[in-house]
Amino acid sequence: MARLIADRIGHLLLVLWVVTTLTFLLFRLMPGDPTLNFLSPSFTGETRAALLHGFGLDKPIWEQYLIYLGQLLHGNFGQSFLQNAPVSQILWDALPNTVILTLVSLCLAYAFGIVAGAFLAFRRGGLAEAVAIPVALATRAAPEFWLGMLLLALFAFQLGWFPTDGAVSPGGSLGSLGQRLLSGDFWWHLCLPALTLTLFLQGLPLLLMRATMLEVLNDEFIVMARMKGLSRWSIVIRHAARNALLPVVTAFALGLGASVGGNVVIETVFAWPGIGRVLVQAVQGADYPVAQGAFIVIAFVLVVMNTMADLAYALLDPRVSVGARR
Amino acid sequence: MKRFLLSVALTALPSLAASAQEAGDAIRPLTLITQPEAAAPQEHQAAQIIADAWRKLGLTVNVRPLPGQEFNQVIWYERQRWDTTTWQMVGRPERSDPDELTYNLFVSANAANGYDFVGYNNPEYDKLAQEQREELDLAKRKVLLIQAQELINHDQPYGFEVHPENVVAYNKTVWDPASMVSQAGIGIRNTWTWINVRPLGAQQDVILNSVAPPTNLNPFNISGQQGSWAAEIVWDRLMRVGPEGLPEPWGAEKVERPDTLTVNVTLRHGMMWSDGQPVTIDDAVFSLTAPDIGDKAPMYKPFVRNIASVEATGPDTLTIKLKHPDAAFLVSSLSKLNLAPKHVWQPIFDDLKNKPQTAESIQEEHPVSSGPFRIVRASLNQEIVLEANPTHWSPPKIHRWIMRIMPNVEASLGALKSGEINFLADYTGDPQLLQDLAKSSPNIAVSQALDLGFKFIAYNERRPPFQDVAFRQALSALIDRTLLAEDAWGGAAVPANSWISPALAVWHDQGIVSRVPGGNLEAAQAILAKAGYALVDGKLHYPAGVKETTAPYH
Repeated sequence: MARLIADRIGHLLLVLWVVTTLTFLLFRLMPGDPTLNFLSPSFTGETRAALLHGFGLDKPIWEQYLIYLGQLLHGNFGQSFLQNAPVSQILWDALPNTVILTLVSLCLAYAFGIVAGAFLAFRRGGLAEAVAIPVALATRAAPEFWLGMLLLALFAFQLGWFPTDGAVSPGGSLGSLGQRLLSGDFWWHLCLPALTLTLFLQGLPLLLMRATMLEVLNDEFIVMARMKGLSRWSIVIRHAARNALLPVVTAFALGLGASVGGNVVIETVFAWPGIGRVLVQAVQGADYPVAQGAFIVIAFVLVVMNTMADLAYALLDPRVSVGARR
Repeated sequence: MKRFLLSVALTALPSLAASAQEAGDAIRPLTLITQPEAAAPQEHQAAQIIADAWRKLGLTVNVRPLPGQEFNQVIWYERQRWDTTTWQMVGRPERSDPDELTYNLFVSANAANGYDFVGYNNPEYDKLAQEQREELDLAKRKVLLIQAQELINHDQPYGFEVHPENVVAYNKTVWDPASMVSQAGIGIRNTWTWINVRPLGAQQDVILNSVAPPTNLNPFNISGQQGSWAAEIVWDRLMRVGPEGLPEPWGAEKVERPDTLTVNVTLRHGMMWSDGQPVTIDDAVFSLTAPDIGDKAPMYKPFVRNIASVEATGPDTLTIKLKHPDAAFLVSSLSKLNLAPKHVWQPIFDDLKNKPQTAESIQEEHPVSSGPFRIVRASLNQEIVLEANPTHWSPPKIHRWIMRIMPNVEASLGALKSGEINFLADYTGDPQLLQDLAKSSPNIAVSQALDLGFKFIAYNERRPPFQDVAFRQALSALIDRTLLAEDAWGGAAVPANSWISPALAVWHDQGIVSRVPGGNLEAAQAILAKAGYALVDGKLHYPAGVKETTAPYH
């Protein structure tokens, strides 16, 4: 097991190094430099050169790379070109908002998906299934921005039940994480983005749970339970559903990792101040340090969650092991 | 010369059709660069309309969208490489004086790496531009500027498209419409409105939207278009461009120009910094000289380049000596440079001396300013919150000024309707949608104002055949400006044929737009035929004897 963990951590570090290097090169391979995005072309070459020197972008690319890696190992993501604030501070301000949005949406989506999936498997062939499966597939396939705009149009523009943007009302302050979690205003602003993400995410657990349940319901131990005369409720919940949950739980871990980076669209539609929005603004403004930092954080969460799912599988299923031992 | 193009259109009759033996080489495929549709839908559509029109001349025209960073890099820094491009000059208060654009855009000294990115070179124009810059008499200067506009009309270094209109909206049950101040070439989204707007009820906060986030706010940083809305009301300046577009004393009580090279300033008495210290003449001298300290404030350095010296001549007075006469100095420099507290910024500049950073990168924890508003909080990804400075000599009537960063334009419209914002300041969507919203919501008022800026097609005169005046005249004659204004800009623009907007009625050459044929194929063909161009098998060729030596854009 120790070898498996060491192997997976080795993979994790390798992937992070590749992501870090690619992210570094990606922006520098684009024509021009970041000053072109926020400096009027009317400014002289002298002005541009002074700013590039200030950013450290007048150094050879290999030197920039070594400085970047060295700083990264010390936990320093650098200074934002556009906001002139430490990148770690910008990311740290945004990350909790993304995590809250993701966790709330995932929990709602998986809670709903698991219950609905189990129910649909149990009532296979009924009217509920005929309606629910296409709806689940449609919301899963619909673009997030479209779903978001639809909910905005209905619940914000027409009915006026929810605010259109941001995480707090105009003039309000986000405050600390604790203050955010205790703020009714924050949760009120979270409703529409979380609902959009929930609708988008619920398709996977629902369909996965239904498919696994259908398999489990045909297993011999379920037949035995029926023969023992157990109630239908007891068979579905206590026996079938518990056994069908394993792949869904794994999907939850992977979904958490993917969603942290995948909220870019929803955070932009609702102006939700999360890491996805920070990333979009940084890419648009060629703010290399912030974009690099955001990519690394997203990649880190994704890779860590994948590794954890991998290890959990190995723990739960002894057949999964390191290739060398096969 | 005034009616040159029109007269050519009416009188020239020669035909373009010719045989291959009579003509020069076929003109290579030309590339019209523009921005992607998602980034600039109006410019992109205009480029498509214009390319279609040019193809009727027998030209092969490829429209090539480039993303923002590459677009700027190619057009501005690789000047030998491209044929023609869409471009724009945006309206800013300091452009209320036409000098900046008149001088920078077309004077040949700026062709190598300055503003004259098309490489236009006409000594006659250079002379006019210099003369208007040195002429302090308004009437005489206007005559020179009219001559300059006529000359550009003849030479057509740009194919002018339109002057756009700024469309904004506000909740008229929250804000007194009579207290909105319209500024020439800017509209009601301006400093004067923020200071003068009067609430009608309990809502005392102006809540406006911004599509893009600003950069950090400090008196030596130009914080993007949206950031500058905040910076202008946080930091005072010695002068401000007034609603009429002319400079007015602001932080200065009086400004005099005894001769073309001297400016005497009397500082307004009783101004205070937000940390409680008085604004002194030393602060004013520092603010005018700090951008020239090394390379530590590169964004503001161009605005002090013409200053030879600044000296305090009394407890409230200072004298500025200029290196060269500059009619626009009061607008382009004194209305642009922020007053910054010396006791805060001198130590910062001292500290920066041996560091690579510049003053732009400094973010004060508690910014010290003297303007009508003070910074409460600047969460650049979310919102900027300013509060009124009640001790200011011109105190605002509102309590707070809150700018929400809302990248989703449609959500901004919804927010205005639902009351989450009460001033739609940054709207890049379809103007008709806004008009429809105003019709369906009686609370909403829409304000449309002609902008100082303009949109145009730039011809790269370093690359044949664009160095030929006749070729440029023909291309410009095919640009249907009315069609562009209506179709591409949805009616929120007016046709243009000058860099001086009709919003600046004092300087604009009235009727100049009618002195270039618009969307007129016959006129364009006549101009080309007269200049010797030939149409061979449906392809436009150079005049006889001219070889195509320029490689197509890649």
